Amino acid sequence: VRRLVVTLALGLTLLPAAAGALSVTDQTGRQLVLPAVPARIISLVPSVTEVLYSIGAQDRLVGVTDFCDYPAAARRKPRVGGMLAPSLEGMVSLKPDLVVATTAGNRHETFEQLERLKIPVYVVNPVSVADVLDLLVRLGRLTERTEAADRAVAALRERIHAVTVRIEGRARPRVLYVLWPDPLIVPGRGSLVSELITLAGGESVTADGGQGYPRYSLEAALARNPEVIVLASHGSEQSPLVRAQWERFSQVPAIAAGRLHTIDGNLTHRYGPRIVDGLERLARLIHPEAFDRAQTR
Amino acid sequence: MSEPAPASRARLAVLLGGLGLLVIVAALGALFIGSASVPPRDVLAVLTGRVRGVDQVVVLSLRLPRILAALLAGGALAVAGAGFQGLARNPLAEPSVLGVSSGAAFGVVVAQVFGLGGSLVEAVGLAACAFAGALVAGGAVYLIASRAGGLPVHTLLLAGVIVGIFFSSAITVLISVVDFDRLGGVVHWLLGNLGPVAPGSLAVFAALTALGGWLVIGAARRLNLLALGEESAQQLGVDALGLKRRIFAGAALLTAAAVAFAGPIGFVGLIVPQSLRLLLGPDNRVVIPAALLGGGAFLLLADTVARNVIAPAELSVGVITAFCGTPFFIYLLRARAANPHL
Repeated sequence: VRRLVVTLALGLTLLPAAAGALSVTDQTGRQLVLPAVPARIISLVPSVTEVLYSIGAQDRLVGVTDFCDYPAAARRKPRVGGMLAPSLEGMVSLKPDLVVATTAGNRHETFEQLERLKIPVYVVNPVSVADVLDLLVRLGRLTERTEAADRAVAALRERIHAVTVRIEGRARPRVLYVLWPDPLIVPGRGSLVSELITLAGGESVTADGGQGYPRYSLEAALARNPEVIVLASHGSEQSPLVRAQWERFSQVPAIAAGRLHTIDGNLTHRYGPRIVDGLERLARLIHPEAFDRAQTR
Repeated sequence: MSEPAPASRARLAVLLGGLGLLVIVAALGALFIGSASVPPRDVLAVLTGRVRGVDQVVVLSLRLPRILAALLAGGALAVAGAGFQGLARNPLAEPSVLGVSSGAAFGVVVAQVFGLGGSLVEAVGLAACAFAGALVAGGAVYLIASRAGGLPVHTLLLAGVIVGIFFSSAITVLISVVDFDRLGGVVHWLLGNLGPVAPGSLAVFAALTALGGWLVIGAARRLNLLALGEESAQQLGVDALGLKRRIFAGAALLTAAAVAFAGPIGFVGLIVPQSLRLLLGPDNRVVIPAALLGGGAFLLLADTVARNVIAPAELSVGVITAFCGTPFFIYLLRARAANPHL
């Protein structure tokens, strides 16, 4: 009963504001009506957490997942659990006025449960670099950080352009990118990593594989004679061992030429602003000659 | 049932020779076929050491170790299946049906959480964890299912299913608690995954398969006597308890080795020994050694299909064995319902 009274009271105080209710379309095209500019946002997506920090909207962020580890300050926000099974109770107790979730990594059940609890869910589904930039703009508008978001996007675009200029007119080396070594999982058609490799001036040897991130035959990958091999590391100590396993294939030109590299997967797999860091590193790995004498960023 | 008669010895020799030939043909086929198109004469050139470069890597570092891993895993699982079937006196007993594979898989995932991987020492640790998991799971199934006088079929199968579910859930818990990135590939691995096993691991794998194979195959004659019933076997001078322990340890070790280095591949231990029994009769002295070769050949053929059917993508070999195994399991279940003595 008390809660009902509180809700009623809250509803009454919000009534005048309801006139200025906010209608927004999320990245999947769903319409949602918010009573006001969201002030208590829960992010169920590590990349969305990064986006909110990058546009200076972190004060509105009241909850994150266990995997939201960047920037370091995000680790100090209250946590609601993992991406697949976040705690509903945990979320409700943070009294959010908006939850941001993704189609890639969260479950549909979570959206439905939240909506039954009358908590609006803003769904993102970035696939490409353009989608990531679009996300910054959208979340900027949503959190009244439009200007900061536009500035951030302009800066990111400039850095992407700088990479394009550096690699322009150079031959595209064949690149094998390894998301997971055993079984081999690689970027396939339409994936963000495939796009980053292209932007970085390389040609992914697995771009003809299945949609997204398919399993791939190791011998088929090596038979395409990759000139550069990039191993994604996953923030743990496993990479030296994985590296040693690849170094066994010393007859493969990329390995013989010392072009077996490791990259932090958080820079290249997350649909956040750091994909541009990932792009710059990939470009340096693929075209070291283009960055040799030039001063760094 | 003393020593086999000379005629049956000759028959066994012919049979094993034939299966050996099948293994060789399958292995050669797998060496020449793959998603990287290496022309046959280049494969030959690689084998005679005349070609280096990527072709050499594909043939010698990718295909060859994978063929050896498939032969070892298939043989190990088939012999383990034959052992469990003899032990439980139940044609449906098999490492994955009994939950023993799940126990071993849990052990492997625990080992991976602690970062054990490809070096020789780590391979031994990985296999040890798998063996511990297999023993715990197998022991639990036995304790749940055993009644005075034996292991009733349905109780045994249900106990296996329950223990299997328990360990699969425990794996899910580990995957959710540990940083997903570190175990991301586990989901594929759990379907059974043959890959280019590192040379050190392959050596450990071979040694464990030899040891487990010796424990089971060496007891094949006494396992025949056990089929007459425990009391009859005792009267014929068989230490039934000691025999059962030996077979259990051997089959668990074989399961553990296969799971540690190839993932929990199901149904090989069901399809291979049962097919051989249908063809050759129930004599374990024939069926179990034949299962070592037949299991290897079967898994190698299944893996060659898995490698090539949707190239350049790959299927998990466990998917192929499950597609073959489930109809077979249903057949055995129905046939047994019709004829309980099968």
